[in-house]
Amino acid sequence: MAASIRSIVRAPSRIFLVLQRIHQTQVTVGVLRAPVITPVIRNFFYSSKLLNLESSEKNDHGVESLKDLSRYKDKPWKYLESEEYIERYGSKPVWANYRRNHKGGIPPQKTRKTCIRRGKTCGNPCPICRDQNIIIHYQNVSLLQQFISPYTGFVYDPTRTGVCMRQQKRLNTAIETAKLHGLIPTQLPFVDYTGEDYSNSHGAVAHTPPPPSKTPDEPWYSWYGSIEPNEHELARVKKIYKSYLK
Amino acid sequence: MAARCAGRALSRAARSVINAEYNRAARSQTVQRLTCTAAPGSSSSGQDADRLKAVQFADAEVQDILNRITGLDLNKVFQPVKQELKPPKYRLLTDTQLEEAAHKAGTQAKKLLKMPPVLPERKPIEEVLCEDKMLEGMDKAKYVFTDITYNIPHRERFIVVREPSGTLRKASWEERDRLLQVYFPKNERKLTPPPMFKEENLKVMFGQNRHHAVLNYCLVQFEPDSAEFKRVHALTYEDIEKNGKYNLLWSTRLFGGLVWHLISSQRIDGLLSDMLQRDRVHDAESLVHLFNLAHPQSDSALQAQQQQASGLELLKVIILTYQQPPLVL
Repeated sequence: MAASIRSIVRAPSRIFLVLQRIHQTQVTVGVLRAPVITPVIRNFFYSSKLLNLESSEKNDHGVESLKDLSRYKDKPWKYLESEEYIERYGSKPVWANYRRNHKGGIPPQKTRKTCIRRGKTCGNPCPICRDQNIIIHYQNVSLLQQFISPYTGFVYDPTRTGVCMRQQKRLNTAIETAKLHGLIPTQLPFVDYTGEDYSNSHGAVAHTPPPPSKTPDEPWYSWYGSIEPNEHELARVKKIYKSYLK
Repeated sequence: MAARCAGRALSRAARSVINAEYNRAARSQTVQRLTCTAAPGSSSSGQDADRLKAVQFADAEVQDILNRITGLDLNKVFQPVKQELKPPKYRLLTDTQLEEAAHKAGTQAKKLLKMPPVLPERKPIEEVLCEDKMLEGMDKAKYVFTDITYNIPHRERFIVVREPSGTLRKASWEERDRLLQVYFPKNERKLTPPPMFKEENLKVMFGQNRHHAVLNYCLVQFEPDSAEFKRVHALTYEDIEKNGKYNLLWSTRLFGGLVWHLISSQRIDGLLSDMLQRDRVHDAESLVHLFNLAHPQSDSALQAQQQQASGLELLKVIILTYQQPPLVL
């Protein structure tokens, strides 16, 4: 079904090409004219909505594939010591020279949802999406530290750094993982040990004496075995639930 | 002389029974000192009295000495902490008010330097309350019943588990800790221990000299009598002792634990030399006094008692009598 649609859609564009070529041959000598397929028509015919070719259903396919092509994908922390990085950013954080484009003086309180949709990057991508080699990884501590305030220990708001919401989420999870691994120092609460009893003598955690001596066959309560159900009631209930009983 | 050797060996054996629960890890690494070959079997009436003399961590005398050794560096105790920034507050004080404020700071510092308890390792809970054969195969999952009454201490809370085989048993310590964290969560404690406490990550932390961070997280995450708590503490103390980084924990609440660990395993030479290097002679004397209290049958304790030594005399005695306990390879 999809294949047939594709062939149907491609056909008019091929016809257009053929017509162009015919037109070209009819043109007088000396005039160069390259066959130009107007972008509008190309997009219409080759749009991924109809064809569903390269981009997958998942939104972050585009982002991951860009970063996967980077030469630092196995060791992202190496990039921050490379000449390329120092030339581009120097000693400032990666988000220092980024400026968001928005109307008016007050920026929207949320940055854009994502910079890369279906493999295509927007104009003015955020500081992380614009550089292919900046990879967010929990072991890339020097990069993560650029997004944490050195005075308060909190992660900077995306309105300050300019990163898109998707990258901010990934950043938050990476910072949390790094803190769990102990790579980034955290502030821990003070544990107070006063007033705690560690003797472990209560029955909840210590050995409790076994029940009073009864033979294992004897029931726990004396009336366990001696109650018989009313036969009338029993028959009535069985009749009601007949279809559920085995 | 022979009787004394035998007596020493016996008291060592007796001491090992007492200290078994305190320092299983340390004992597995160090062999008790053998100054002469021991002839087991002979006992003297004085042994029982001497055995009682060995002090425990929770004794007031021990706590007092450890608090003194820990020291009070206000700059380190009240180090600026990363928190939400607020504008600074300035106050004008008279001399008496300034003294009062300094005194208050001292009491607050003492509170912050309160040592976490050193407890014997908790015995596993293996108790079956009831075996109900008729419930066997009723469900594939275990059911856990927790008593969530508000006003009872966590160690008196009943937590029981019904297995698919029908047995009703008390929950183990690990299950208890997990469920108490679910129903009564503590700040910053995770349900599963974070990967920081694995060997490789601990080594990284030790390489960065962040022993205090490891131990603080350990205090938050684990109960003081759990095996994990003891393991992490033992690893940290071993690393500190190996590299002589005693000053990292000085004037923190963790120093007392370190000192007690070293005293229990009878390896105080590194710490002593470090103290003397930093001109903390009184601390060194207190340390030797504590060592003698904890090991009343050791050579230095007996000689000190003979000579009624105190102060620098104690240091001289220990230098003469101290022998490095051989490591078990």
